[in-house]
Amino acid sequence: MKSSTLEGHPLKKDGMVVVDVDVHAHETPAVLAPYCEMPWRKTLEHLATVPARYLDIPGFAPSIGLLPSFPHSGGDRRTTVTSAAQMRQDLDDLGVDIAVIFPDHLLSHAALKQDDYAVALARAYNRWLVEEWLTQANGLKGALIAPHHSPEAAAAEIRRYANHPHVVAVYLPTCAVDPLYGHRRYDPMYAAAQAAGLPVMLHSVTLVHPNFPFNLQGYETMFATHLLAHPFSLIANLVSMIETGVPERFPELKIAFTEGGIAWVPWIMLRMDKEYAERRREVAILKDRPSTYVKKMFFATQPIEEPEHLADMATLLTLFGGEDSVMFASDWPHHDFDHPSKVLQIPLSDTVRRKIMGQNAMRLLRLEKPQPEPAR
Amino acid sequence: MTQTYVVGQVADLPEGAHMVVEVRGRAVGVFNVHGQYYALPNACFHQNGPLCQGAVSGTVVATAETGWRRTWTAEGEIIVCPWHALEFDITTGQCLAYPKRRLPTWEVKVDGDTLTVLM
Repeated sequence: MKSSTLEGHPLKKDGMVVVDVDVHAHETPAVLAPYCEMPWRKTLEHLATVPARYLDIPGFAPSIGLLPSFPHSGGDRRTTVTSAAQMRQDLDDLGVDIAVIFPDHLLSHAALKQDDYAVALARAYNRWLVEEWLTQANGLKGALIAPHHSPEAAAAEIRRYANHPHVVAVYLPTCAVDPLYGHRRYDPMYAAAQAAGLPVMLHSVTLVHPNFPFNLQGYETMFATHLLAHPFSLIANLVSMIETGVPERFPELKIAFTEGGIAWVPWIMLRMDKEYAERRREVAILKDRPSTYVKKMFFATQPIEEPEHLADMATLLTLFGGEDSVMFASDWPHHDFDHPSKVLQIPLSDTVRRKIMGQNAMRLLRLEKPQPEPAR
Repeated sequence: MTQTYVVGQVADLPEGAHMVVEVRGRAVGVFNVHGQYYALPNACFHQNGPLCQGAVSGTVVATAETGWRRTWTAEGEIIVCPWHALEFDITTGQCLAYPKRRLPTWEVKVDGDTLTVLM
């Protein structure tokens, strides 16, 4: 890591703030158990004895492991971060000032069955996050899990932590969620987030639950499954939120999409506008074309597309106002993480670079610019 | 240079009716909406469809006042393009799906038994 630090980058030397809107803390059943209410603490204590694999624990991180795989060629690089101190050190090595923490295993949270269990797990994670990771003014920020299984419980979690100085977002687990996030049953959640001034961040994962999102379970490789599961889940939920007018009904609610790259954004935006011209009556709640709402949403870069001509990415940004809505994300420490230098290679003006590397995220998350020498 | 053109008889266009006529080589839709007369071009900006040959109807809105429920409104005031169903407010030319797009409108006058358009 040290060899690829950003410290020598001219913009970094010039005070550019780098905000990373997607990093992952490694929560296991064992570490969450003390924070979990009964009887589900018993479940976590039991699950702590089950052999765990990468993002795959039965009953905790449900994965349909049907696909054979070859060893990754990435060597033995560590792919978990187990403490706040370790995360801070990793971020220093990456050149990141401020980062938003998401979970590892609970990326699959929406697929969990038993509503009471899923709510208890979300509460336990949120307690653990706040008490173990968000205790200092050191640039570590957190996104609360909102358990879609009970929108009222999710709203209560949002209200509970609304004024916490380091809780900056509400995380909506996006894969296998049913119904999709535009459904009106989620209104209490959005009302609470809007009232708290916290953005909702939809984060995807490779989880292709039967019928979600479409029959991707038919693929025979992770190549196909991983590449489509992520953006499809974001697209399906974005369309759902537009369909029911979430941005119209919650005009102050900020909405962000994480871990699908960004090249899909202009496509779905233009596709919706095309459909809207003919079917406006069906979505009469919208006051303008869907693109006007999409242009107010936020999108995280990772996994950033890498076309042969990187300048194409600069052009892509202009198609959906991305200069003011795209935010750097690394997905550290996962297998497909992006180093900040990759995004900085896109030929953009320094003004736009500063927006994408930090300022857009600071606006979304209402972050203060860090002091020159933050206490760490 | 605006001139007055006779487009038909008042009796041709009872309340709720509309027709397409040719004025200065241009196809124009003339409407009687609740007893008031309006004229629009018979061409949708979207893909140049024959807008005024479509059906006149109301439309659907959904606002906070109705708890975001879909509500039928403006009956008789909306023309729907027969090609792709884009809707326009006949009285203003405003496109409902595209807030920034508004068709030109022309004044229609009653002159005795005849209807005239100022173009």
